[in-house]
Amino acid sequence: MASSRGAGSQQVIRMADLEKMSLDQLKAVKEQADIEVNLLQDSLNNIRTATGRLENASAALHDLSLRPQGKKMLVPLTASLYVPGTLDDADKVLVDIGTGYFVEKTMSEGKDYCERKINLLKSNFDQLVEVASKKKTLADETGVVLQAKIKQLSPSS
Amino acid sequence: MSSSSAALRELQRDLENKANDLSKLQKDIAKNHQVRKKYTIQLGENELVLKELDLLNEDANVYKLIGPVLVKQDLAEANANVRKRIEYISAELKRLDSSLQDLEEKQHSKREAILKVQQRIQSHQAGKAKA
Repeated sequence: MASSRGAGSQQVIRMADLEKMSLDQLKAVKEQADIEVNLLQDSLNNIRTATGRLENASAALHDLSLRPQGKKMLVPLTASLYVPGTLDDADKVLVDIGTGYFVEKTMSEGKDYCERKINLLKSNFDQLVEVASKKKTLADETGVVLQAKIKQLSPSS
Repeated sequence: MSSSSAALRELQRDLENKANDLSKLQKDIAKNHQVRKKYTIQLGENELVLKELDLLNEDANVYKLIGPVLVKQDLAEANANVRKRIEYISAELKRLDSSLQDLEEKQHSKREAILKVQQRIQSHQAGKAKA
């Protein structure tokens, strides 16, 4: 049983298997499933946050594109220090594509980039939601069988 | 009688040693997983960057953040760098994979050895009880 948990192999556990397991094994399965559900929920939250940030970036870009060149603005130098400045060329934007690389893009390319990333995250999110709900069902089923077994073993009447 | 209790003590010491070895193996396996996770994330990020770079025109400007400095880089150079990094990370992951397999095999055989020692201890104690 220990080796089956080794390299992240998926275990397909059916109701019949659950019934056959002892109380301890059931508890272990439920705990494992609960941990996995929590991990998946965390990942889902992370994706939601990232998607939110990207949508903010996209909105900011759009707003920037509406501003005329030469418009007076306040430029942040630190989190609490802003300096007055003028908007130079709002058509070129620097996009952070990861691992320390930045690319100069036009406004429309930048918007396109944001769209692409948001769509990628959304599809990842949907895939994860599917996996998470399957795991949750497993955890719930295991819980039910566990409760039933406990009741069986300790008749209170 | 004293020789059998000395043998028992030796068996128990052997058991302790093997148990220590097993816990070290488990720590190594956990560390392997951690490093693996880190590399997998980096690999994913680098592949995203490569995809973005591929979408660019030849004359697009690419900058690399080196410390606090944004340095202009040649697109070809950036591509080459990212590709090299991806190769390196993939090689590391493969290495980790094989060492993980090795560790898991060792863990398995250590568990079996422990079981055997435990059985010997039990039979020893049963033998003493009879006497």
